Amino acid sequence: MQDAWYITLKDLRLLWRDQRTLAILLLLPLIFITILGTSTGQLFSTKQKAQRIKVGVVDYDQKEFSQLILSEVEKLGALDIQEFDDIVAARKRMEQGDFDVTVFIGPEYTERINNLRLGDLLARKGRLKDELDSLNVKVESSAYFANAKQVVEKLIFGFAYKSFVPAIMKRDSQKLAMTLIRAANKIDREAEEAEQMAQEAGEELTQIAAQGPASPLNEQNFVYQIIVPSYTVMFVFFIVLLMARSMIEERDLGTLARLRMSPASEAWTIVGKTVPFLIVSIVQTMLLFIAGKLFFSMSWGVKPWFLLPVIVCTSMSAVGLGLLVATTARTDAQVSAYGNFLVLTMAGLSGCLMPRAWQPELMQKIGLVTPHAWSLVAYDQLLTKQYPEIDQVARCCGMLLFFAAIFFSLGWWRFKSLR
Amino acid sequence: MSLLQVRNLHKRYGDFVALHDVSFEVDRGEVLGFLGPNGAGKTTAMMILAGLKTKDGGEVIIDGKHLEDDPVHLKRLMGVVPQELAIYPDLTGEENLGFFGSLYGYSGADLKRRVAEGLERVGLTEFASQYVRAYSGGMKRRLNFAVGVLHEPQLVILDEPTVGVDPQSRSHLLDCVRDLMDKGVGVIYCSHYMEEIEAMCRRVAIFDHGKILAYGALDELLDRNRRDLELLVEGWTPALAEKLGERVIVGEVRGDSAVVTIPRVDGAQGTNLTQRLSEVITLVQAGAGQLSQIHTKEYTLERMFLEKTGRRLRD
Repeated sequence: MQDAWYITLKDLRLLWRDQRTLAILLLLPLIFITILGTSTGQLFSTKQKAQRIKVGVVDYDQKEFSQLILSEVEKLGALDIQEFDDIVAARKRMEQGDFDVTVFIGPEYTERINNLRLGDLLARKGRLKDELDSLNVKVESSAYFANAKQVVEKLIFGFAYKSFVPAIMKRDSQKLAMTLIRAANKIDREAEEAEQMAQEAGEELTQIAAQGPASPLNEQNFVYQIIVPSYTVMFVFFIVLLMARSMIEERDLGTLARLRMSPASEAWTIVGKTVPFLIVSIVQTMLLFIAGKLFFSMSWGVKPWFLLPVIVCTSMSAVGLGLLVATTARTDAQVSAYGNFLVLTMAGLSGCLMPRAWQPELMQKIGLVTPHAWSLVAYDQLLTKQYPEIDQVARCCGMLLFFAAIFFSLGWWRFKSLR
Repeated sequence: MSLLQVRNLHKRYGDFVALHDVSFEVDRGEVLGFLGPNGAGKTTAMMILAGLKTKDGGEVIIDGKHLEDDPVHLKRLMGVVPQELAIYPDLTGEENLGFFGSLYGYSGADLKRRVAEGLERVGLTEFASQYVRAYSGGMKRRLNFAVGVLHEPQLVILDEPTVGVDPQSRSHLLDCVRDLMDKGVGVIYCSHYMEEIEAMCRRVAIFDHGKILAYGALDELLDRNRRDLELLVEGWTPALAEKLGERVIVGEVRGDSAVVTIPRVDGAQGTNLTQRLSEVITLVQAGAGQLSQIHTKEYTLERMFLEKTGRRLRD
């Protein structure tokens, strides 16, 4: 066992002297996390203004109802409205990329609303059959926002509907309108009572929750709860390349043969060659989590100590894979080819590159063939849940150890066959 | 009993026979020379002895123990200085020796003493704390040697230890080998430098095609009294070459003159040298040639090596 310790110390010394590589192991994931965090609107825990859809409006109607719809739309924070006098200028600006969507309110807008009857509103048929077209309103979008066009159409129609329905109801059937309003008031009262009851019933639970630890889920840092572990897991597996290169270098230098000629047993030699990278990998993860907390206000969840077994088990499976690649590849070029292929493919499958929650169910199941996915599931429990399921975390750690055992056994078998 | 006894060693890679019935011995304080063209089987034999390859047959007995009986103990008895440098360029000379010394179980003051002695032995004391990558080729070779013998092995395998070094380092390394010999260490010395083998070894083994073609005491193999005759023939023509046939070995041909050798042939097949010289003179004169010089030529290890292994180029 002492032999393994000497080999470990020697490799740690060599790794420490290769500080550029160590810096890359830490800085690269931090850069990725920062870029992605910034891309999603959050940097260094400062919430940036969320991106809004920019809408140009040309109002050829300029009457009460068109003004009403615009004031309703402006209340909605998700849309950034700017008015134009003519359709040509609005289209030009949209082509230049200044706007995503343009809404044209035709000159007949108010007239068509005035022509609507109560039956049109209730059935949304007849004069409202074609929705915005029926009202002489048209929505155009830039190529990039083709999908958003329908959303904006529905929104505008919704606001328009909201703005003219009371007037038409009042005009056509004051009595009916009053009945509906009374019914609505009754529903409101019942809803208030139900809310009161729910509040009373959940009082105890609310108190417990209030006394308990703060939820890791908060708007400011949520994105980092996802991307810090995702990119940490991905870059932890890049240890595969470092480890394989070290083994190839040892082989090329002839020192691997010298190790085998020494009295050190084969098993302790492998352990000695593996442990330094396990240490580096664990330290790398811890530093990234510390950086996540310091720079991005990331939370370590309600049970931070449970992160440790996940970190260790993930690193064990990473160095296990490293040993397998190290003993399979024969040249540095092969290390790059096998290593990058494996690391990036597994990262993609598992949900390191795109949150697992966004993946289709089938893809989530396929991802479980990688150790990365089990690690992400465990981190998801610990970092994003108010009440993490520790059983599931333990199951994930078990699977990570299983992967580590398989990789390590295959790596050992390959190492023996290197004679 | 010999320190190392190798009997009927056999190794094959698929259909290729790398070693066939190879037997040799090394005594304490003896340097056995390993000669052979590339791919002859020397390295395979040395790797089996070092425990880097397994044998398919035969026996390897070191200090009375079979190789497979107590491999860890036998690894301590053996030191290997590989042809390729096997040291860490990003460690200092001292750290390299310290690391490999610790793998042999040395620690503390004992390890420090051995490291210091090792550095002194190869003249690297003042460069102890320099990174090996800053060493010259000769310094690296010397450190490579020091690492191989740090644990004071009883049997040392040296695989071309002086390749690519300057004369000073070479001389120093050869002195180190003599020092080992004086301490009773058995040495297997593999080299393509014939003069080194002749200077260092009492016995040699010439390998080719996985077999030992010649094995024994160097003096006996070389037959120091043996002399070949070297002739300079003027008026050399292809017709004359055909007439002389296998009576001579044709050397350098320049214009219409050629250097030919009448080898002294040992054993029952050999014929009287004077008689063969007489035949050659008669044939040269009959072919309108003329003998302009004649002198004797010493039979060297290189000549014997080329005779045994042929002049065909190898990989």
